[in-house]
Amino acid sequence: MREIIAISWRNVWRNPLRSGVVITSIALGIWAGLFSISFSYGLNEQRTRNAIENVVSNLQIHHPSFPIDRDMRYTIAGTDTLMSYLDTAKNVRSFTARALLNGMASSSRGGNGVIITGINPEKERRVTKLHNQLKEGSYLGESFKNQVVIGQKLADKMGVRLRSKIVLTFQSSDGTIIAGAFRVAGIYASASSIFDELNVFVNQDDLFNLLDSEPLYHEIAALVHNDDQTEALVAELNLAFPLNKTESWRDISPELGYADEVMVLFLYLFLTVIMSALAFGIVNTMMMAVLERRRELGMLMAIGMNKGHLFSMIMIETIFLAAVGGPIGIGLAYGSISYFHERGIDLSLWAEGLSNYGIDPVVYNVIPSSFYLNIGLMVIATAFLSALYPARKALKLNPNEAIRSI
Amino acid sequence: MIARLAWRNIWRNKRRSLITMASVLFAVFFAVFLRSMQIGTYDNMIDNVVGAFSGHIQVHQKGYWEEQIIDKVMPQDSALLADIEQLDGVRNVHERLQNFALGAHGPLTKGVLVAGIQPDKEEHMLGLRKQLVAGTMIMEDEHGVLLSEGAATYLGIKPGDSLVLLSQGYHGASATGLYPVRGIVKLQSPLLNNNTVFMPLTTAQWFFATGESVTAMVVEIENNTTTEEVAQYLQAAVDTADQYEVMDWKMMMPELVQAIEADSTGGRLMLFILYMIITFGIFGTVLMMTAERTREFGILLSIGMKRGQLAASLFLETLFLAANGIVAGAVGVFPVVLYFNYYPLRFSGDAQAAFEEFGFEPILPASLDPTITLTHGSIILLISAILALYPAYKIWRIKPVDALHS
Repeated sequence: MREIIAISWRNVWRNPLRSGVVITSIALGIWAGLFSISFSYGLNEQRTRNAIENVVSNLQIHHPSFPIDRDMRYTIAGTDTLMSYLDTAKNVRSFTARALLNGMASSSRGGNGVIITGINPEKERRVTKLHNQLKEGSYLGESFKNQVVIGQKLADKMGVRLRSKIVLTFQSSDGTIIAGAFRVAGIYASASSIFDELNVFVNQDDLFNLLDSEPLYHEIAALVHNDDQTEALVAELNLAFPLNKTESWRDISPELGYADEVMVLFLYLFLTVIMSALAFGIVNTMMMAVLERRRELGMLMAIGMNKGHLFSMIMIETIFLAAVGGPIGIGLAYGSISYFHERGIDLSLWAEGLSNYGIDPVVYNVIPSSFYLNIGLMVIATAFLSALYPARKALKLNPNEAIRSI
Repeated sequence: MIARLAWRNIWRNKRRSLITMASVLFAVFFAVFLRSMQIGTYDNMIDNVVGAFSGHIQVHQKGYWEEQIIDKVMPQDSALLADIEQLDGVRNVHERLQNFALGAHGPLTKGVLVAGIQPDKEEHMLGLRKQLVAGTMIMEDEHGVLLSEGAATYLGIKPGDSLVLLSQGYHGASATGLYPVRGIVKLQSPLLNNNTVFMPLTTAQWFFATGESVTAMVVEIENNTTTEEVAQYLQAAVDTADQYEVMDWKMMMPELVQAIEADSTGGRLMLFILYMIITFGIFGTVLMMTAERTREFGILLSIGMKRGQLAASLFLETLFLAANGIVAGAVGVFPVVLYFNYYPLRFSGDAQAAFEEFGFEPILPASLDPTITLTHGSIILLISAILALYPAYKIWRIKPVDALHS
């Protein structure tokens, strides 16, 4: 066996071109697998981060009935103590409290059903990116009363421009219809035009004035320093404030988690395709290698090498090739993933105008480190399996004929 | 002469040619397969979303889409309707009258979309009967409504209760009515499920005081691939100068287009990675073939063949092999794509729930669009042509004496 291993090792370097082709195939396969996984994970993480930073935040607190009914009666209990608790909670980066009312926004063109969000402009700035999504005008300020920020889609639909007046109509808790005139201070465009059509933002103090009521809050949204501990904080808040319901972004937007699963499914499909393509590449090259070496293999058989040895020789050759190609591929993947993890891949090369849609065109690769081992093993196994057929083919050679062939 | 030589060369060494062809064959196979799965998934999304409510194409009074108010109705035109209905690829044309209204029940109100439809004719498209979760279906011409599940839950309505509708009718007429709720439907799209009220077209025409007018003719296309054709035909056939506007789903739903665009960008990167593997697979084979035949080239050159002739014949030979491989690959991939078109991959578990939540069927079907095969066949032919330059280059550099001794 010792000799067989030695012969195999020498065989690898006897024809550097052929070995180079197989080694490169293996390295390329590992790189492609790892890189596409890291890209998909990066894409997903970006989507999640966008959703957390722009829409859902890490966690939200409501009256337990509010998420179901969205009725303005369901306000958060004990807001003051809750807010001072959040002020001192370690993992909380920032938070804001909002008043949410269902209502109607009307212009001379008619009315549209909207969600009126009463925000605290200063605190909101630290939780969502509304202030960065303004296409025109400015963010809600302190100086003027009754200002509103509306979405581009709604503005187009209602035919209103900056500084136009619109009327917001909503019900107070006793059912009285209240209407107030608001001046459009800014027009925003987020990634989703459905969101833009449905959501208008006003200063919450203006709402409380119109309602002639004490501050009432339906939603508290918070960002955390470390998302790994979001669930712990949620549990802690649910325990400390049992009258309210605290939920993490995973509960609020389960589709973000689903997207993960759909991605994994696509990824498996893709990996199967890549591995099959790789397998055929290797089979082809090894096949040529075996057939090209008919004379040599025939000679070996003629001078008494038995079939078992011949078979192991070819398989061990493949193992050596994989052993060289594997680390190269992993190194290549590690290098390129680290590079794009820092720099990001700018997708605007592939799809023009992605940023016009409000989608961040730069994806930063990420990969759970366990994949290095998994994919490495998968590719080496593929290489090994691909060598079986050519090796079998070699066994079938007739030494007598093989020696004479050119 | 050279072409003939190249062609004969292919069949001189069948096994080597077959291996080269196989590498091209698999390249075509995998590229077409992967892309068909991607495109098929988008087509499925489009058919699900578009086919469920808005239709692939709509014809409105000019200016309606910009400003969706009830004054922009158009008189029913049965001649035009019949004309469109008999077009190739058109399954059905539906007349609808749509407008927003305030729905009220007890102390609760909600902005709703009132859709006046012909229940029996639209059953194939809307499938309301299948989505009925309580009560009964509405009849043609009756005084009653169907409520979407989300709106019914919010307003606390059960079949048998009455819904108050308040809106604005044609030319400022006031529209108020009390309508018995016949049934509740659970619509797939979360947005529609939250705020839709269906009533028979004639009832809606009476409610909005429009007389025999509609807001849209919804064209139901049998297969999305013909949408563009039909839309172009309609653009030319109807008076778009001042009477009508013809819009396809891409114009009506830019969000869907952008969601697909964003996803497709990732898909294209994956395809790029696959192409790298494929290119290398073919290159490996070409490389081996060239190395294996060095001796033969040496002999040909020393007996007086011109380098140019030999290089040209080798270039052509490789190209012929590639062309054969591409045709074989296209033929080979067809049954597989056909199979996955009829028996698509199905999601299960959470991913299934995610798809259903967004109103998509949880499947990954393959697209049968022949342009996919054409595109990727051409790309691979181009890649092969570039790779075929390698043996030609090699011949240019060869030293006949050394080659003879190799």
